[in-house]
Parts: sequence; C-alpha cells; structure tokens
Amino acid sequence: MGIRVILIIGLASFGLDARPISYSGGSTLMGHSNNMKDSFYYHYSPSYKYSIGIESLDDKVIGDSYSYTRLTYLINRKNTELSQRNLYFQSGISTTGLNNNFYGVHGDWETRRFFVGFGFKQVENQINDYEEKYIQMGIAPYLGEYGDFHTWLMFKAKKNSLDKEWSNYPVLKFFKGNVLIEFGYSDVSEWDTHLMYRF
Amino acid sequence: MRKILTILLALISLWSAANSSDTDHHSHEGHIHEKMIDGKKLAVDPDRFDKFLVGLEDAQVAIVNVQGMVCDFCARGIEKTFKKDEKVKKIDVDLSKGKVLIAYSLNEEIDFNDIKEKIVMNGQNAIDMQVVSL
Repeated sequence: MGIRVILIIGLASFGLDARPISYSGGSTLMGHSNNMKDSFYYHYSPSYKYSIGIESLDDKVIGDSYSYTRLTYLINRKNTELSQRNLYFQSGISTTGLNNNFYGVHGDWETRRFFVGFGFKQVENQINDYEEKYIQMGIAPYLGEYGDFHTWLMFKAKKNSLDKEWSNYPVLKFFKGNVLIEFGYSDVSEWDTHLMYRF
Repeated sequence: MRKILTILLALISLWSAANSSDTDHHSHEGHIHEKMIDGKKLAVDPDRFDKFLVGLEDAQVAIVNVQGMVCDFCARGIEKTFKKDEKVKKIDVDLSKGKVLIAYSLNEEIDFNDIKEKIVMNGQNAIDMQVVSL
C-alpha cells in the first residue's frame, strides 16, 4: 500500500515538476455517470504529455462524496499517417486521504475508421477496494470531415471485481466541434454516460 | 454471446456500406491544387482546398503533411495554436488527407521548424510541407 501511494505521488510530482508549463493547452470539462459513480471532472493539459485536474464524485460503491486530484500521463504515443496509438498512466488521490486513491493504465489505437482500446484501474478506498478493466472497439460508419458531426458505433466489455460477470454492451459516441457525448447500456451495469467539452 | 455477434455483424455491415462511398474520386482539372511542386502533386482534398482559397489574395499557403491526426479532436489544438500566430491569415484541416493548410502573407517567411514545433506540442508530427503562392 505504502509503495503504491509513493508511486502515485512520485509520478504526480514527476509530471508536475519535470515538464514546465510551456504550452497553453486545452481545458476539458467532463461529466460521467455509471453504476459506480456520478462525477464531474475538470482537467487542464499544460502539454500533450499530461493533464492535471480535479474530479468531484458521488461514489456509489461506498456511498460517499469526495474529490480526487487526478493526473493522466502519456507514457507512449506512436503517430503514423493513418493511425495513432497511445498508452496512458492515470492516477488520483482523494481529498479524504492518501488511502483513498486509484491508479491504472489505459491505451488505445485509432484510425479514422477503427478504434480499439483497453483499460485497467485499481481503486482503493479502505472500505470496498476493487479493480476495473475494460476493452472497447468501435467503427465509424462514415468518415466525417473536420468540423462535421462525427459518429462512432462501439462495443464495450467491462468487468468490475465487485460484479460477478462481464458487462457487455453497445456504446454510441457522437462529437462535433468541442463537444462529445457517449452513452451505453447493459443489463449488468445499466447506463454508462459520458459528456465532454473541450476549450 | 448472440447479442455480441449481432452487434459485430451490424458494425461490419455499416463499415462495408460506408467504405464503398470512400472510393469516389474528384476531377478538378485546371484548379490550383493540380499544380506540381518539386515534382509532387498536391495531395489535398480539392473541394476543401478551393473553399480555403476563397477570400485569400497575395498569400501563400503552407500544406503540411501531419501524422497522427486521426480525429477532429486531435486537430482542434492545431487550429487553436496557429490561430494565435499573428502571421497566420487562415488555417484549415483536411482530415481525409492528413493535411493542415496554413495561409500566410506573401512577404512572410514560412519557417517549417516553427510549424513542426507547434504541431509536436499538440501531440502530432509534421512530416513535410509544400508551399503554394497565390
């Protein structure tokens, strides 16, 4: 446990100190709602390598409300003419204390037509620790141009260690300009919705 | 499992239908985008390029080949960054060809290293550039 907290803090410190704010990057507002939490998340990206932010959430697992200070760090990116591949580290430390935290990795590979992604997250709250993993794949039914309304048809399989089975469900993702909306539904995890505004 | 297979089949069908329309080609003989620069044909979407040129006079356009620009969101930061540059008269993104179009005044010197740096800061890579003078 101690090592994990040190790892999280260490990576957070690395992200903040080793990269000066040399680029006035984007800010993002996100709303997320699923069977585990309802949350509101703001993050700022000083560079494309990392973002820092605050997530305020209603934790449905432990029945409490608190905030996370969050860091997402780009471990690796590969750009090609037709694709982009990413691997990220993510972490968060709760305002209630260091013992309430999460960390994990997520990655994706994307072309204009196809998307494949995965993620793993360990959540520790001293009451009901759990891990969450998912895979997601999608296809764009048409290729929109810059500024058009974009649509993705996706499939997501998600497993939470508190649940007995995988939750498999379709996800629809739409975005235009700076706004993105994504929602899916399964019998196991019910609605999984995600709203995002970038500015 | 049957549900999953149904979803996958539906996705594949949609993709096949959409893919057939991707093979349409344009013919715009005589337009400026048909010019050759350093022996290379301009690889830009003709309609998009023509729209971009509307209202531009005494300008030069840098056509930058960018890797990793796979979605609208990826390109937003590029547009935002170049719009802050006072030397830039106009900017557009051609997602289908992976190009960024940047218009400058004719008397401006276009610095490819500066363009590369701005694009890297956004998380993509600029590979090469062609310049068209209007």
